[in-house]
Amino acid sequence: MKMNNNHPFHLVDYSPWPFTGAIGVLTLMTGMIKWFHNFNFNLIIMGYIITLLTAYQWWRDISREGTYQGKHTILVNKGLRWGMILFIISEIFFFISFFWAFFHSSLSPNIEIGSMWPPSSITPFNPFQIPLLNTIILISSGVTVTWAHHSLMENNFSQTKQSLFLTILLGFYFTILQAYEYIEAPFTIADSIYGSTFFMATGFHGIHVMIGTLFLLTCYIRHLNNHFSKNHHFGFEAAAWYWHFVDVVWLFLYISIYWWGN
Amino acid sequence: MLLKSLYGVSRFGVRFYRKLIDPLDLLTGIEKRELLAHLAGDCDPFRILSIKKGPGTRERPNLIPSSNSSRLICCHCTESDNHLKFMWLHQGDPKRCGCGYWFELCPIAPL
Repeated sequence: MKMNNNHPFHLVDYSPWPFTGAIGVLTLMTGMIKWFHNFNFNLIIMGYIITLLTAYQWWRDISREGTYQGKHTILVNKGLRWGMILFIISEIFFFISFFWAFFHSSLSPNIEIGSMWPPSSITPFNPFQIPLLNTIILISSGVTVTWAHHSLMENNFSQTKQSLFLTILLGFYFTILQAYEYIEAPFTIADSIYGSTFFMATGFHGIHVMIGTLFLLTCYIRHLNNHFSKNHHFGFEAAAWYWHFVDVVWLFLYISIYWWGN
Repeated sequence: MLLKSLYGVSRFGVRFYRKLIDPLDLLTGIEKRELLAHLAGDCDPFRILSIKKGPGTRERPNLIPSSNSSRLICCHCTESDNHLKFMWLHQGDPKRCGCGYWFELCPIAPL
């Protein structure tokens, strides 16, 4: 049967990255166990390197296929949109589990922690100090990323560059402030269920902020290299969606853990 | 280099701003051909949308466009049907569905 490619679908070329990605996360997980039990970093470092290299090269290939090869037709674009939406939904469920744990522990606190929340002898953060600043930072970054999107759609290269840069800067600022809070915290992850729920929820949120900032940074670099047009810039839209999701999760964290949980 | 940095600069009120690359210029490959087809008025450049059956007789079969030597098609025989009848159609071999409609593969150039 003679076959021609007269269809809008993208049948991807053979790629080693799914395999190297699997090896990478396996090494990462095994390395984590080795770190916890034997206090040895070697395997986890190797896992990080393999996974990071895979992610970089896989996503580099996707932007090559879209921008340089023109494989991203309207239908492929729709598929990528659905993919990103479903991924974000899965991440929402991931965070729901940590919020579940928090509310389970805080709504009826155990007698072992003093039948009160926050538990006795835990000094929580003042929600109106750095956490409030972090909230303002993330909400502002939501504004700047929307500004960047509108500038893109209005064919304004310079303003897209400025607003995207501001968004990344705000993302870094949040990370730095949160790192400072972590260092200066009067309680640790080992300090009762309060510490566990606090650091698991805010810790994973922090990782997502770093990933979101990195995603926006790659969009910034791609924008400077003229990958985006005013009609076709899905990479940027995906980064913006992810960033809004990170922002919303923080708002939930702030209201429930920092404010209500104080 | 100064002149190069002014590429795509335009006025917006009293400010100057640089524009992004023209979308049609940036596109390449099959994505570009798809968009050009859409701009030319063809809303189904890949011929994948469903088509309404014509007379479908042996003398005037429904022509199914394809740039391959075979194509998988399905027939929605009547409006009230809740299933589709699938069949392979091969070049130069007209086929009849169980409902009586004839189909024939019609070669077209790929996009």
